[in-house]
Amino acid sequence: MTGEASKAQDIFQDTLREAAFLVANREPPADRYWFFREARWRCLDVVAQGVQPEHATNESTELSPKAPEQIEQLEPEQLAIWISAAPEPQRSALALYYLDEFNYREMMSMLGLKLTDLSRAIASGRREFQAWLNTTVPAAASE
Amino acid sequence: MKRLSRGLRTLADCAPIANAKAPDRRMRTAVSRAKRTEDFAAQQSFDRAVAKLVQATPVSTEIQEWFANERMAEGAKRSWKKTALHPAILAIGIALVVIAVVAWITFDEQMHAFPGTATAKKLLNVAAMTRPSEFEPMETEAGTLNDLFFMKYRLEHYDVPPEFSQQRTIGVRVFDDDEAGQVAQISLAEKRMQLFLFPARRDSKSGKPEEFEGWRYIEQEGWTGAVQARKGVLFMAAVRGPKKDLAPYLTTKPQLR
Repeated sequence: MTGEASKAQDIFQDTLREAAFLVANREPPADRYWFFREARWRCLDVVAQGVQPEHATNESTELSPKAPEQIEQLEPEQLAIWISAAPEPQRSALALYYLDEFNYREMMSMLGLKLTDLSRAIASGRREFQAWLNTTVPAAASE
Repeated sequence: MKRLSRGLRTLADCAPIANAKAPDRRMRTAVSRAKRTEDFAAQQSFDRAVAKLVQATPVSTEIQEWFANERMAEGAKRSWKKTALHPAILAIGIALVVIAVVAWITFDEQMHAFPGTATAKKLLNVAAMTRPSEFEPMETEAGTLNDLFFMKYRLEHYDVPPEFSQQRTIGVRVFDDDEAGQVAQISLAEKRMQLFLFPARRDSKSGKPEEFEGWRYIEQEGWTGAVQARKGVLFMAAVRGPKKDLAPYLTTKPQLR
């Protein structure tokens, strides 16, 4: 989310420190999602102070049956770059969703989103990613 | 997907990627309905491919090192001493000890209680409070008083046991007690000891006196009593002091409490 490992490490350590501070004050984090929420807000703060991506309306298209083959041709870093360029909260929603570790309730809790917003972020992310795929891996798309 | 209602479509868009169990019934319903559509199959293929790519994302060694020691977020382990001295643990421990002691005392009392325990304890209080002037002066051997009790008060079997029959008396009195009935109280010269004779408690069904074998000790506010049942009458020797002051007088070994 931050684009820099050193910043991410600082945020990671700050989050742990905050958790330890709360525990010392006998107010431990209510659940494990607290760590994700806290770290995300810290990331957003850091990102807000850095260089901002240009806001552009991404094209979107219906999912293609060939999408799995197109995705297979991608490098993981390409996907990471695409997701990191997405606007918030879509970026966080897609990152959490494709980690495949959390259900929709947990994601709503961590991101502070309503179900409709979460659903919209993921669904539009899919279509936009498909449109980007069609541009990036056209050969597979045209088969 | 278009055939799904808006609510179910919203849920289906967030459906679990793997075949993991849906977190709730609403999601299970949405997934179940969505599976009948072609759009959902395409969505799942798409999501699985993306998730696979995410899993394949290499993690730099630098980031791996953050989690090399997974215990960093656990906090320091408390030693057993520190845990034991935690106020909550300490309070629970003390409470459990108190409960155990009270339970043991109650159990012990129940185990060693005999028919007439309450009356005998009450008479120990009487022994403590009786002034010498309340006794009718009577200097004789304790063993001879059974005739007096029978002739004067019609108290049958109010016999002093052989263990105390040779003791010299200095006073006697007979009084009525609400609980004990007619009580004979004898004051002895030795150790300012007192002897009590009173009716044994009777069984509510059979009406027979409830008796027990041997001697039983009881203690009450610095006084000790040794009690024996015989022929429907309880005899108690009471002394101000511990059990060991009474023990030498008892030929048969009492049941220790």
